Amino acid sequence: MNQGGNTQTVTPLDPNNPIEKRYGVEGSQVQTSPYQYSTGSDGTTHRVDNQVNGNYYHPQPPVSATGNVQETPNTTASSSTSGTVNMAQDYSGYTPYQTPSDPQNYANTGYSNYYSGYQQQQPSQSYPQPVGAYQNTGAPYSSFQNPGSYAGTASYSGTYYNPADYQTTGGYQSTTYNSQTAGGYPSTNYSNQTPTSNQGNYTSNPYQIYTPDAANIHSSTAAITPPVHYQHNYQQWPGYYSQTEVPCAPGTEKLPATSAYSQSFPVSGVVANEIPASNGQPAPSYAQPWRQETDSTQPPSQQPAAEVSASNDAYWMHQTPNQQAYYPVPPQNHYQSPLETKPSYEIPIQGHQRATYPQELKSQSSFHQTPLTYRQPTQTTPSVDTQRVSKIQIPTNPRIASNLPSGYTKMDKGRSPAGAIQTPAYVSVSVSNPKGHTTAMPEPGTFPKSLCGFVERAFARCKDDREKASCQAALKKIITEATNDGTINTRDWDTEPLSTVLNTDVINTEPSSAPISSLQNKSPARRPKSRWEPFVESKPFVKPASNFTSGVKFGGWNHQNENNKKSSESFQKVDAVTGSKPTYSAQNSAKKSFQRPVKRQRFSGGPATTIDDDTSSDSEKDLTPYYSSATSLASSADEKKRRDTRSKRFEKVQGHSRGNDIPKPKISNVRRGTAMRLGQDFDESGSRAVEDMDWDALTVKGTCQEIEKRYLRLTSAPDPSTVRPEDVLEKALLMVQDSPKNYLYKCDQLKSIRQDLTVQRIHNHLTAKVYETHARFALEAGDLTEYNQCLSQLKILYAEGIEGCTLEFAAYSLLYITLHSNNNRELLSSMSRLSKEAKKDEAVKHALSVRAAVTSGNYVMFFRLYKTAPNMNSCLMDLYVEKMRYKAVTFMSRSCRPTIPVSYVAQVLGFAGTSSEGTGEKETDGMEECSEWLKAHGASLVADSNGDMLLDTKASSTSLFMPEPEDAVAHGDRYLDVNDFFTRT
Amino acid sequence: MAYVSMGEAHRRITEYLNRFCDAVSYQDSSMLCRLLSFSSNSPSLLSLADALNVFQDASSLIRQSDKFSEYGEILAHLFRSLQSYRVGNLVEAYLAFEKFANAFVQEFRNWESAWALEALYVVCYEVRILAEKADKELTSNGKSPEKLKAAGSLLMKVFGVLAGKGPKRVGALYVTCQLFKTYFKLGTVNLCRSVIRSIETARIFDFEEFPRRDKVTYMYYTGRLEVFNENFPAADTKLSYALQHCNPKRERNIRMILKYLIPVKLSLGVIPKDELLQKYNLHEYMNVVQALRKGDLRLLRHALQEHEDRFLRSGVYLVLEKLELQVYQRLMKKIYIIQKLSDPARAHQLKLEVIAKALRWLEIDMDLDEVECIMTILIYKNLVKGYLAHKSKVVVLSKQDPFPKLNGKPVGS
Repeated sequence: MNQGGNTQTVTPLDPNNPIEKRYGVEGSQVQTSPYQYSTGSDGTTHRVDNQVNGNYYHPQPPVSATGNVQETPNTTASSSTSGTVNMAQDYSGYTPYQTPSDPQNYANTGYSNYYSGYQQQQPSQSYPQPVGAYQNTGAPYSSFQNPGSYAGTASYSGTYYNPADYQTTGGYQSTTYNSQTAGGYPSTNYSNQTPTSNQGNYTSNPYQIYTPDAANIHSSTAAITPPVHYQHNYQQWPGYYSQTEVPCAPGTEKLPATSAYSQSFPVSGVVANEIPASNGQPAPSYAQPWRQETDSTQPPSQQPAAEVSASNDAYWMHQTPNQQAYYPVPPQNHYQSPLETKPSYEIPIQGHQRATYPQELKSQSSFHQTPLTYRQPTQTTPSVDTQRVSKIQIPTNPRIASNLPSGYTKMDKGRSPAGAIQTPAYVSVSVSNPKGHTTAMPEPGTFPKSLCGFVERAFARCKDDREKASCQAALKKIITEATNDGTINTRDWDTEPLSTVLNTDVINTEPSSAPISSLQNKSPARRPKSRWEPFVESKPFVKPASNFTSGVKFGGWNHQNENNKKSSESFQKVDAVTGSKPTYSAQNSAKKSFQRPVKRQRFSGGPATTIDDDTSSDSEKDLTPYYSSATSLASSADEKKRRDTRSKRFEKVQGHSRGNDIPKPKISNVRRGTAMRLGQDFDESGSRAVEDMDWDALTVKGTCQEIEKRYLRLTSAPDPSTVRPEDVLEKALLMVQDSPKNYLYKCDQLKSIRQDLTVQRIHNHLTAKVYETHARFALEAGDLTEYNQCLSQLKILYAEGIEGCTLEFAAYSLLYITLHSNNNRELLSSMSRLSKEAKKDEAVKHALSVRAAVTSGNYVMFFRLYKTAPNMNSCLMDLYVEKMRYKAVTFMSRSCRPTIPVSYVAQVLGFAGTSSEGTGEKETDGMEECSEWLKAHGASLVADSNGDMLLDTKASSTSLFMPEPEDAVAHGDRYLDVNDFFTRT
Repeated sequence: MAYVSMGEAHRRITEYLNRFCDAVSYQDSSMLCRLLSFSSNSPSLLSLADALNVFQDASSLIRQSDKFSEYGEILAHLFRSLQSYRVGNLVEAYLAFEKFANAFVQEFRNWESAWALEALYVVCYEVRILAEKADKELTSNGKSPEKLKAAGSLLMKVFGVLAGKGPKRVGALYVTCQLFKTYFKLGTVNLCRSVIRSIETARIFDFEEFPRRDKVTYMYYTGRLEVFNENFPAADTKLSYALQHCNPKRERNIRMILKYLIPVKLSLGVIPKDELLQKYNLHEYMNVVQALRKGDLRLLRHALQEHEDRFLRSGVYLVLEKLELQVYQRLMKKIYIIQKLSDPARAHQLKLEVIAKALRWLEIDMDLDEVECIMTILIYKNLVKGYLAHKSKVVVLSKQDPFPKLNGKPVGS
């Protein structure tokens, strides 16, 4: 059903889009402003809101020309208020929308379904959705879902909000969408959905409804009315946003907070504007915008708004109060204006109110706030911590606020005339809309009056906020269940026992008390905890916030604010991971993910998890269900345990981070996250944390018996089946040593041996032997790069006390420094490090002599030493021969007059063997080679009367030069020659 | 360790705390220096350390009074360090002292005037000394010494604190010198470059403005760096500056400077008087100088071999080794003079055979090829003017100044 619903909804959305586009022109200002806000400020939540708003707006623009639009907005504002309320709830609901529209949203859809109920109700007047709203409340609980919903909203916006402003937001949203969709959201959502399959249905229904509405709007004046509603919603939403944002701002981000405050104020201002618009009936207008239902109570709503503006804290406070007041009022309002016309509308509102706002009864004024609070909650819910949520929102708020105010004011103006009797205006518009909606769709969301009465009774029983919150949650749950069962209209609500509702209160009490005071978890989240209350950010707060949030979430929120996309991605990741903690930790978004997961859990696991939710203080519990839902593994007790431990770990992190600055938690999260990811690589279940990783256990034990193995740089964890154990490696080394093949082959083989040794962490004589062998081969081939690598490894090995040809390599090292690094300090230190025994070693002695010959420029000595070099010393000297010869010839040319026989040069400079004792043939070979070399270096040669070649020193002294090495290549490694490359392969 | 009663311990600690706070409040730098100078092993500090070991809860004492608790962090770390230092746990002592130093530097940063520069010097010095000691302890325990490195980064931080426009900038050179000492000890001499650059190029620093002792130390170390680079003229300038400005009563310092200045001067052809070597106990150079005077290659080689370790460690080995060419030059000059006495007309022709014979007398066995090689090098490096007739195996000397003096220029220039 859900899916189907989604698809359907999608189609409806399309129709809306055109409308939106139109709006873009007309009502774009209003819309844009909200959008911007949303985009600018909070990534997800705002977007969602915006999207929602946008959706609403879109409908509106098409509806009326500017004048109408303006008016309609006002009216809508009032009507939308209810809508907004819903919207707030909708956050989640939005997502559902999106989900329906976007396949990706599926997960979201689940959410969206919950949420969508809300949203749909609002935008499309999908009263049926109100039922969904209840569900949505559940969704809000899963604050994370809200993000998802946000994404969903984004999609919405994308579809509906074609306007540029929207687009911007839409982009964000889309990103969120993707992430969400990509993420485990779907899965989690699905799981969630399964529990809340009914919700999914709801959402789908709303969508359907929506589309018809939109169509209606488009086609006819009736269409206008819906748009109006939308606009209202929009306004409300923006207001919500701003409000919500504002609270957020104070909470988390200081800078943003200030702006957010201002913004939030603007939001309030917006509301106020609306009120003015309503012609001195600000309250009414407010009431209208907020709740279509609570037209009468509107005035009070305005007051709350003012309060909101007063301070963020106040916001929060208000929110909680608002929620209380709100709830009560909204129901009334809903009932009043939209109610009759559109039962569904009322129901949603009621449901919302009930769920989250059980306490709201008190005042309409609270409505505004409530909506705000609602939104905040929803937003926050994702973040779990209200503060975080608020923060997130805050960033966007400023922009939104700025934009919104204007738009709102306009709206208000428009409204004021129309809505002199705010309610009336609203009513009229809303009514028309509702009608259209109602007519268009049989709405599942519409609630029977008896149910409303039930809800009212339940709230009436509540003595304080806590109880109301819990009551809300319980009501939400009940209603959702009823809706799902299809018994919502058949049940005798008048006789329904209130005990179930009130029981939850007890549970809720814990959370509800603190929320307001402590920005993060305390009041809002906990109160709403009830699964049903989507708005009740408390839920999200409670679980997610309580556990992770404080520290981690903050960071996460911030990140979210910064990057909506990222957050969404993180979500996805989380989902993909199946909510494994590692992912969470890995990304800042993890926080979000956590929150979201929590929401999901609540949603999906709503029934099963409810208890946990009530205890909401334990995010772990929430997570576990979430995870379980997300993952098929949930069922296994072990999994749960593991998850619990994981979540505990996070809690710890939070605990640590709470006191600290925001950044710190982030960092820790990130680190953890990566670590976790790492761990996951090894443990698919993802239950392992980095701390748990046993690196020793990760050391590969090779099983490969092949002696020959090509070297391939590892790009992943080594596969034991391709790694050779030590005994095989020993054979391989022997094989390489005896191999008649060329250096490239040997180098390749030795590198693979080295790699196998490394991955098996073998550090012993064999290792030293391998490196020594390789170093010798490298010297032989003049491969200094490889030689240096080996030598540095050998130094480490020797330092560890592993025996090897220490002296031989000390000599090499000395020679290397002397001949190539030309660093006096290094030379001095390596010379001073030589022990007396070492200095007696033949090779070392030789190396020291070479050093002396080189420093003094004694070429005769050098070439004599060259001929008597032990070990591979001559190989290192080879690399200096050219320079030495050149130096020598330079000296001779400068010092000797008039000529020097080439034969002497060849003999002294070591051309072709031992000249003096050598045979004649060798001498001539040396002669030829020497004269070739001399000619190549610019020496001028003459022949004397005997035909012997002579070096004309005077002429040569100015003409000598160092030719470019013939085998030089641009990249400096002549072994990378193309032909060599081919021979390798 | 004499027994210290609880009351006595309490009294000593309180007294120390009072002194510390008084020193800070009266900006009495010298008192503060005395209070911080661990390595002085002053009796008062030692007795305080004993008292601290008896009276374990010194931190509560610090906390009791507002006066003390203002510097609570500084004092607590200082006490802990002193305690560990007293019982010989140098690593712990260093760690605590490092924390103390950080806290102190933080406090120093807040003091407007530079009155506490001297105290900061003491802290820098003690950090370095303690780190060296701690490293010794670590090495003896088979652990890798790393404290000096940590001290280096701490000193670098202090340098950053001082490198500003205020009156504190004159302290920068002291810290620089401590950094030099650290880096030279660590063998990470290349790290000196950044500090040198900021001292020599930053406009806030006027070199003449720094205290003289720091200038001398700075010149000494930068001169040594130039020795490593075999940039003898620059090394000569810097080391000579150090020598000229060094307190003449500080013979040890003069000796240290001369240890590098003499090889540099020798490389430039300036030979010191024996009295100088004797006065500053630089006997390892006696034979080198003697060899140069006499053209006695064997003596030079012996001298190098004899003090190889010392020369290697101080980094002048290669410099001294290069004196060989000057010894050859001297030897040839002697041969030339002798020939001139017997046969002035052909004195400018030095047969390689003769040179080889002279070397044999010095118990250095060289065949003609090698002698010819040496001669080409000498001619090439302009130590001998003339040319080598390969065919006749004769070095033909220039009739004018065949053995030019270096006159302060390095060989081969």
